[in-house]
Amino acid sequence: MNSLRARRRRDTAIRTLLLAAALTVFLVPLAWTAMASFGLLPDNSTRPPSWNGPITLDHFSEVGIAEPTFWQELATSTAAAACAAGLTILCCFLAAFGLARSRFAGRHGLTQSFLVLASLPAMAYVIPLSDLVRRAHLADTFTAVVLAEAAVTAPLAIYVLFGALRQLPPEWEEAAVLDGAGLFRVLGEVVLPLAAPSVAATAIVIFVLDWNLLLVPLVLTSGEIKTVPVAMMDFFTFERELDWPTAAAALVISLVPLAILVGIFHRVLERFSLDARQDA
Amino acid sequence: MRLTRRDRLVLFAPLAVLLSGGLALPALLGLFATFSTYSPFATSTRFTGVENYLAVIQDPQFGAAARNIAVFTFVAVPLELLLGFGLAYLLRRPIRGRGFWRVLLLLPWLVSPIANGVMWHFLLVGATSILDFGSGWFGQADVASPIGDVRLALPTIIAIEVWREAPFVTFLLLPGLSSVPSELWEHATLDGASWIRQVFVVALPTLRPLLLAVTMLLVGLSLGTFDTVLILTGGGPGTASLTPALYSYNQAFIINNWPTGAASAWLIAAAVLCAGLVYMKLAGRPEAS
Repeated sequence: MNSLRARRRRDTAIRTLLLAAALTVFLVPLAWTAMASFGLLPDNSTRPPSWNGPITLDHFSEVGIAEPTFWQELATSTAAAACAAGLTILCCFLAAFGLARSRFAGRHGLTQSFLVLASLPAMAYVIPLSDLVRRAHLADTFTAVVLAEAAVTAPLAIYVLFGALRQLPPEWEEAAVLDGAGLFRVLGEVVLPLAAPSVAATAIVIFVLDWNLLLVPLVLTSGEIKTVPVAMMDFFTFERELDWPTAAAALVISLVPLAILVGIFHRVLERFSLDARQDA
Repeated sequence: MRLTRRDRLVLFAPLAVLLSGGLALPALLGLFATFSTYSPFATSTRFTGVENYLAVIQDPQFGAAARNIAVFTFVAVPLELLLGFGLAYLLRRPIRGRGFWRVLLLLPWLVSPIANGVMWHFLLVGATSILDFGSGWFGQADVASPIGDVRLALPTIIAIEVWREAPFVTFLLLPGLSSVPSELWEHATLDGASWIRQVFVVALPTLRPLLLAVTMLLVGLSLGTFDTVLILTGGGPGTASLTPALYSYNQAFIINNWPTGAASAWLIAAAVLCAGLVYMKLAGRPEAS
């Protein structure tokens, strides 16, 4: 028994060590960026290399000078991602419930093809999409960006939500129906509360995906509406080179909201599951 | 509950409208357009059959891009799966501060691909490069940036992509791996199975559907690689890190060669759909199992 405990303790030690090593590798680039944003830059000309520069918050305000519309772009990104994620979740929650409560041949083929659709790279359809949006006179509008982003992430959302809703026991819905509840009362008062963690987890992941989309907002807009990724791309393709500390500050600013979101909801995020197995 | 016809309409219509307007309609219109000289700026359009596709396939640039993306996918996807699974395996049992570890580990995935390109540009190029810093510690001279090197550009892009996606794989696999019934592990341990055997006998069979789904997403992601390459190398040097998505983008939006851009984009879609058929074949019908 003692040897088993010793083995377990050794296992835990090894695991912690390996994890720490992996985390270091994965986080060094981010730490490097964070330090640069505070003005702490490496001096590679000395031997051994050293760090120099006073620690300052100036670079964060320089972002607004180098790109005067940066804060507005941040707001646009947030609003667009939030609206798009909300729309996606609304449409997919309804459809996933419908799918979970219908039985027909090919239901599984259908859900699997949603996953295939979710894997389709944006490049595969943005060229005609940009044309269509222009013809609908929606080019360069907030509406177009939200609708397109919502459509792009919908296949993944419905795949995940279908998996989650299918697991719910149908008895409570039946009870509500016997009490005379209609579809919307069943959805709002029985299904949604039961599935809330999964729905929230999906919403967060979809929000992150929307926030980080480049190609879709890029081809649908031409300056009027600008998200942060599009602004970053403009900087580097129009050769208005940023200096590293300012770029680093912009990177940190655009990462922190997502990190906080994920940090707050990390327990809920465990409910984001691509598992197609669970069948009631 | 039993759904009436009206219920079904209410439930499915919003998604159907969203998907057909935002995905299906553009995709199908785009597909038709690739068989013609259609371009939004052209005054007349005529039917050309498969000419656009032939033009794309015969373009040596697209050939290079297709070769690059094949290498990319066959190297990056297994590496992402392996690393992601390894990290999930380490995190599968409760450990002090597991929630904190998980959040930290997800950070690379939260960096948008474009921001990722900007970040690595500064990490690899110029006076503040992390490589020079590292080599300086060993008393070596500055190293040339790998993204300017014909042979190293693609491997560098792959490494950066793996850095970003492996944590996401961990995030996707961890719930599945933690929910493997603990009796299964215990049985295997009592049978004296080594941890490698445990992974193959206990973890992989239970996780098969999940692993297939994750692999499908990763293959699609790799085949569409665009943002990071655009910023870091622009496809260069030469065509050393050009990807089909970047090729389509350049054709359609930079040199305004719409038909070639749309046709090459459809070739990417075709590749993903082929992978999708393999996925659906392998995943089969979950109810049967």
